Amino acid sequence: MFTTGSKLLIGSAAASAVFAVVYGVAQGGALGTIGLISAAVALAGLAGLNVFVRDSNVSAMDHDAFESSAAAQATARPSLWPLLVAIGATSLTLGLVTTSAFFVVGLIVIIAGAIEWMLQGWSERASADRAYNADARDLMADPLELPVAGAIAAAVVVYSFSRVMLGLPSKSATVVAFSVAAALVLAIGAFIGIKRGVSKVSLTGAFSIGAIALIGAGTFAGLNGERDIEPHHSTAYIAEENECGVEETEADEKASQTVASKSNVAAELTFDGSTLTADATGFDGDFDALTLPRSNPSNVIFRNESDHHARLVIEMHPAVVDGELSGPERLCTALVDEGGAQLLTIVFDRPSIAVEDGYEFIVAGSDATLEVVVP
Amino acid sequence: MTETRSTARRIGLTVAALGAAIVLSSCATDAPQDTWQPEGQYAQEIHDLQWWVFAIAGAVGVIVFAVVIFVVFKFRDRGQPIPEQSHGNALIECSFIALPAVLLAVIAIPTVGLVIDLNDTDDADCVINVTGQQWWWEYDYPIDANGDICGFTPSVEAAPIVTSGQMVIPTQAKVVIRGTSRDVIHSFWVPKLNGKRDMVPGRVHTWNFQATQPGIFAGQCAEFCGLSHANMRMEIVALDDADFQAWIDNQLEPYESPEEGTLAAAGEATFAAQCARCHQIDGLTDTEGELIIAQPENFVWSGAAPNLTNLMTRNTFAGATWDLLTPACRDDVWEADPDEFGAKYLEGVTADCLNEVELKEWLRDAPAMKPMYADPELLEATDDKTRGMPNLNLSEDQINELVAYLLERK
Repeated sequence: MFTTGSKLLIGSAAASAVFAVVYGVAQGGALGTIGLISAAVALAGLAGLNVFVRDSNVSAMDHDAFESSAAAQATARPSLWPLLVAIGATSLTLGLVTTSAFFVVGLIVIIAGAIEWMLQGWSERASADRAYNADARDLMADPLELPVAGAIAAAVVVYSFSRVMLGLPSKSATVVAFSVAAALVLAIGAFIGIKRGVSKVSLTGAFSIGAIALIGAGTFAGLNGERDIEPHHSTAYIAEENECGVEETEADEKASQTVASKSNVAAELTFDGSTLTADATGFDGDFDALTLPRSNPSNVIFRNESDHHARLVIEMHPAVVDGELSGPERLCTALVDEGGAQLLTIVFDRPSIAVEDGYEFIVAGSDATLEVVVP
Repeated sequence: MTETRSTARRIGLTVAALGAAIVLSSCATDAPQDTWQPEGQYAQEIHDLQWWVFAIAGAVGVIVFAVVIFVVFKFRDRGQPIPEQSHGNALIECSFIALPAVLLAVIAIPTVGLVIDLNDTDDADCVINVTGQQWWWEYDYPIDANGDICGFTPSVEAAPIVTSGQMVIPTQAKVVIRGTSRDVIHSFWVPKLNGKRDMVPGRVHTWNFQATQPGIFAGQCAEFCGLSHANMRMEIVALDDADFQAWIDNQLEPYESPEEGTLAAAGEATFAAQCARCHQIDGLTDTEGELIIAQPENFVWSGAAPNLTNLMTRNTFAGATWDLLTPACRDDVWEADPDEFGAKYLEGVTADCLNEVELKEWLRDAPAMKPMYADPELLEATDDKTRGMPNLNLSEDQINELVAYLLERK
C-alpha cells in the first residue's frame, strides 16, 4: 500500500514526534521540543504529499517492474569502500583520545568512503546493464573525484616545492633552484612537443620519476627544517622605538607605496607639502578636523602629494592600567614616497576629553597637523 | 463517500481561513516596521519600485503554482503510460529562456538606477556616525567644518553629542549616516525611512535617511549578530528645525549634580562607584573633582557601553528594547500629531511617566531581561569581558538611588 519513500517519511515523522515527547519530558527544553515538533510536522506533510504522488514513480503500480526493474537485478558487487570507512572510523576514534589530526583525517576518510560507497551502491542498481551502470557512476563521480584529486595533487606539488625552497641555505640558492626546475620543465615540455612519438609509458615514467623526486626532496627538506630567515622590522617596531621621523628606516625600505583597500575607510588624509586635510566618507569637502570613534579600529589612508617623502604620525596617549600602558604610545605609517599612499589602522581607547592636548595627526618634519576628535 | 467530502470541505475551509488571515494581516495599519508604509523620500522610492516588481513576481508565482497544481492533478499516476515528452522542442525551450530574461531586464533597469540613487551621499544636510555593537546602537554627531552640528549652530560651545537607542534627526533634511561596527556584522534597518545597510567592522558604510514629517520610526538590526539579535532595536526620531535646535542645545547643557542630601545625590555616588567604569556621563566628577572617564574597553568585549548623559531625553533603554515611558505616556508621544510631536518628545521622561518597573528590573538583573554573555564563570573566551551588561548585584536601596539619579539626566 505504501511506497518505500512514504514509509521512510512516515517513520521519520513518527520518530520525530516520539523524540519530541521524550525530549520535552526528559530535558524540558522548549527550543529542542519545538524543533522536533516542527520536524515531525514537516515530515508528516512530506509523507502526505509522497503518499499522494506515490514517490513520483509511475511504475509503482506496474507489477511487471517487480521482475524487470534494476532493483530486481543482481545484488551489488563486493566493495572496498566499507573497509575504508572502517579505517576512517578507527582513525576518528583514535583521534578522540590522541591528537585532533587523526580525528580530522578519520572524518574526511569516512565522508569520502561513504560517498563513494553510496555512489557504487546506487550505480550498480541503476539498471540491469553493468556497462551502463559504470557510465552512470562515472557521470556522477567524476565531477567530484577529478577536482578533489587535482586539488590534492596540486597541494602535494606546492607543499613539496615550498619545503624545498624554504630548506635551501640562502635566497640566492632558491633563485638558482627555481630557475633550474623551470628550465627542466620547459625543456621536457619542448622535447615532448617536438618529438610527437613519445610513448605513453615513457611519459608516465618521466612524470612518475619527477613526482617521486619532488615529493622525496620535499620530504627531506621538510624533515631537515627551514633555514633561518631574518625578521624584518615593521612600522609597529619603528613606532615602538620612537623612530617615526623623517629618516628612512629598515621598515621603510620595502614598504608598499600603494593601498589595496580603497573604499569604505574612515577618511583619506592628504598632505600637499604644507597642510594635511581629511576627506571623510559621507562628508562633502575637506576638513581640518576629523571625528573617529572610540574603542574601534578606524582605517585611514595617508596620501602624500608633496614633492618629498612623508610619514603620518599620531600620539595615542594610552591609559595607564595597573602600572602599564594599555596600548602603543604612537602609531605611524612607513615613509611614503611622492605620490604614494599607506593605510593606518588606529584604535583610540580614550575620548578626547580624557587627553590633555587632544589627539592630532602630524606629518613628521613638517608643521602640518590635523585634529582628531574622539567622542 | 459523504464522510470523505465532509473531511475535504473542512480541510479546504481551514486552509482558506489561514490564507485569509495571512492576507488580511497585510492590511494592518498599526505596523511600525511596515515597508509598505513609507514615511520618507528613500523609502518612498523603494516603495514605488517594489509594488510593481511584487506584482510581476506575484503573477509569475501564481501562474507557476497553478501550472504545477494542474499538472499534479491532471497527470497523477493512475497506471497510465508516461505521456509524450517535450524535451528538445526549440520553441518551448527558447521561450522559457527569453521570457524570464525579458522580465528580469525590465525589473533590473529601474532597480539598478534606484540602487545608485539610494547610495548618493552628496549634498548631505546632516552627517551622523552610527556604530553597532552587541546589542545596541551608538550615535555620535560630529561637528562639521563650520562648527555646527547637522547644520545647526548650538547656543553653547559645540561638542560631539553621543547618544544611543534613538537617533534624532531634523525633518526634511538629507541625513547621511556613517556606519560601522565594533564587533560583528550588524545591519541598520528602519523600514519606513529606507532599506537595510550592513555595518561591518573596519569599514565605514554610508546610508541616507530623510523623514517627511516629525515622528518616531522603529527599526531593528537585520543581520543575525548573536544571542540578543532580536533585542537590538533602534528608533529614528524626526523633529522639525526648531525642536531639533532645542534638542541639540539641551544635549550640550553642562552637567549638573543633584541637590545634596537627596536620593539622587546618593544615586550619583552609586553611579560613580558601580556604573561609571563602563557608562560615560559627561561632566560627572569623582570626589576629588576629576572628570570620570568610563573605560568600557576594559570590561566589555565590544569596548563600548551607552553614554547615559541625557538618558531621560530618550524614550527607550537597553538597545531600544524597553520603553522608559509607561505605555500611556509612550502612546501619547507615538500617536501625537506631527505638529505636537516635537514638544511631547522634548518633554523627555518625567517622574509620572517613568517606566520604573522595567528600569528597576533591568538594574536588578540585566541578563535576566535580555539574553547576554555576562556570566562571570563563562567569560574565558572573551578575556573576562562581558557581551552586554552583567548583573551587578545591586541592593534595592542602590537601585532606588540610581533611578532617582538617572531621572535627572535630561
